[in-house]
Amino acid sequence: MSAVAARATRRTIVTSVCAREWRETLGNKLLVGMTLFPPIVILAAGILAVYAAALYPPSEKDVQALYASAPAAAGLDPREAVQGFIATYFLVLFMLIPTVVPLTIAIYSVIGEKSARTLEPLLATPVGVGELLLAKSIASTIPAVIVTWIAYAIYLASVLALGSPAAVHAVTAPRWILAVIVMVPLLTALSVNLGILISTRVNDIRVAQQIGGLVVVPVVALGIAQVTGRVVINNESFIRTAIVLVVVDTVVFVAARLAFQRENILSRWR
Amino acid sequence: MAIVLRTEGLTKRFGKLLAVDGLDIEVHEGEVFGFLGPNGAGKTTTLRLLCALVAPSGGGAEVAGLRLGRDDARIRASVGILTEHPGLYERLSAADNLRFFAALYGLSGREMEARVERYLELMGLGAQRDIPVATFSRGMKQKMAIARAALHEPRILFLDEPTTGLDPDAARTVRDLIVSLAKEGRTVFLCTHNLDEADRLCDRIAFFRRSVIRIDTPDRLRAELYGRTVEVRVVPSPRPDHLARVRCVEGVREAWLENGSILVRTDDPLRTDPALVRALVDAGAEVAFVTERRVSLEDVYLKVVHGAAEAR
Repeated sequence: MSAVAARATRRTIVTSVCAREWRETLGNKLLVGMTLFPPIVILAAGILAVYAAALYPPSEKDVQALYASAPAAAGLDPREAVQGFIATYFLVLFMLIPTVVPLTIAIYSVIGEKSARTLEPLLATPVGVGELLLAKSIASTIPAVIVTWIAYAIYLASVLALGSPAAVHAVTAPRWILAVIVMVPLLTALSVNLGILISTRVNDIRVAQQIGGLVVVPVVALGIAQVTGRVVINNESFIRTAIVLVVVDTVVFVAARLAFQRENILSRWR
Repeated sequence: MAIVLRTEGLTKRFGKLLAVDGLDIEVHEGEVFGFLGPNGAGKTTTLRLLCALVAPSGGGAEVAGLRLGRDDARIRASVGILTEHPGLYERLSAADNLRFFAALYGLSGREMEARVERYLELMGLGAQRDIPVATFSRGMKQKMAIARAALHEPRILFLDEPTTGLDPDAARTVRDLIVSLAKEGRTVFLCTHNLDEADRLCDRIAFFRRSVIRIDTPDRLRAELYGRTVEVRVVPSPRPDHLARVRCVEGVREAWLENGSILVRTDDPLRTDPALVRALVDAGAEVAFVTERRVSLEDVYLKVVHGAAEAR
């Protein structure tokens, strides 16, 4: 008779939890739909907007409005400027995907388990709460990052095929590519950990989504400010933003870890 | 037999509510230990305490040789718990549910597959191994949850109402599993409202309401509370003088008439019964049969639990 069962390695825990969560997610058509709908809409709208701007030249009024709101576009050919502006604007919207998509998955991952009453057997295993949250966090982060990267790749290919040189220049700017590679995982992790943190305090998926949805506000504000030239993100501010996101991600994860207590979950979550 | 679980004044408060009050018990290796009490007595909280799922407010416990509060992760690896709700992943198959938990308990490869197969077969779910749990009946889900609790072969298995909602076949499968686990030397800590089941399975029983009221083997509890009752059937029917003669027999604590029989309370039927028969025959009675009447555990339970409530 074994005295104490062997302890699973952290890698085993993460891979097991991820594999199970992904299978459960893929089996939940509503969740898959809610996850894929925002990127599909943003992607389709972006491609159509760039294509429409290529087909229909902007009016003089539109061009003047653009020059007024985006001083960086001044001096460019009007059609080029409009396409470049639209292409860049949708890149900002792409930054919303990592904040919206994983939030739903993360909230379902905790509140869904709670309502299905699967958390108690899970918490009765020797797995630590920190390990469990890390595994859940990774399980929600990876699909969102992959979905965003795929959507960006399709958008990039579409703009290369349909867009003007200004539009191509906008979407292939090293800063944007770096933003997609670096900022997308950081924003995703922020959204996921925030979702988990909210889920420890809220019992209703809809309420959790509404609270978690606030995470898009600073992203939208920053993106619009960047596109319209109100804020110029140079290399230095880019690195600073990335560092701040790493710190905020860590703080939110630790807060989620502290809020996610075995005893509270079992005795208060009913 | 070695002690595998010991609590010393184990206490749990939730705010002002005292859920468990100074619990002192010792449970032995290979024992089926019944933990009986009314709803809201604190049984589930006690299970959660002993499985290191909630922290005690006072006192302490040693579970599978490990100290509660110090070795919590190792305690959780050494025990298995059947929770109040099966809590299965409905979209996964039976085998995948068990594989997931087996991995969390550190099992892998052939050993994992062998365990999954063994417990699916033991629970009679081998044919449903690849079917999503969502399609299972309540009883099948309960059996799955028991298989999950026993999968890592823990030293102590805590079962909270294991046969609730099961049909007689499935309930027998679960009872057989409990007996076979005990034979393997594993300890089963059984919370149940099915007193007949507790009577059949448990080596010892604790009656519990926030703390232990009484603890002993079912037979000793019966004997202590009720003595042993013998039924003497006299045909065509017993007369008052028969009852008077019976009351004079040495060893008879009490005797009364009930449904055409004389009921006799005695401490030692083996010594008293021959004297009873002799006394009745001498009084001209025709004795049809003498049999020991077994007091149900339900009677014992009601007497203990209600007695404790009245004493408060």
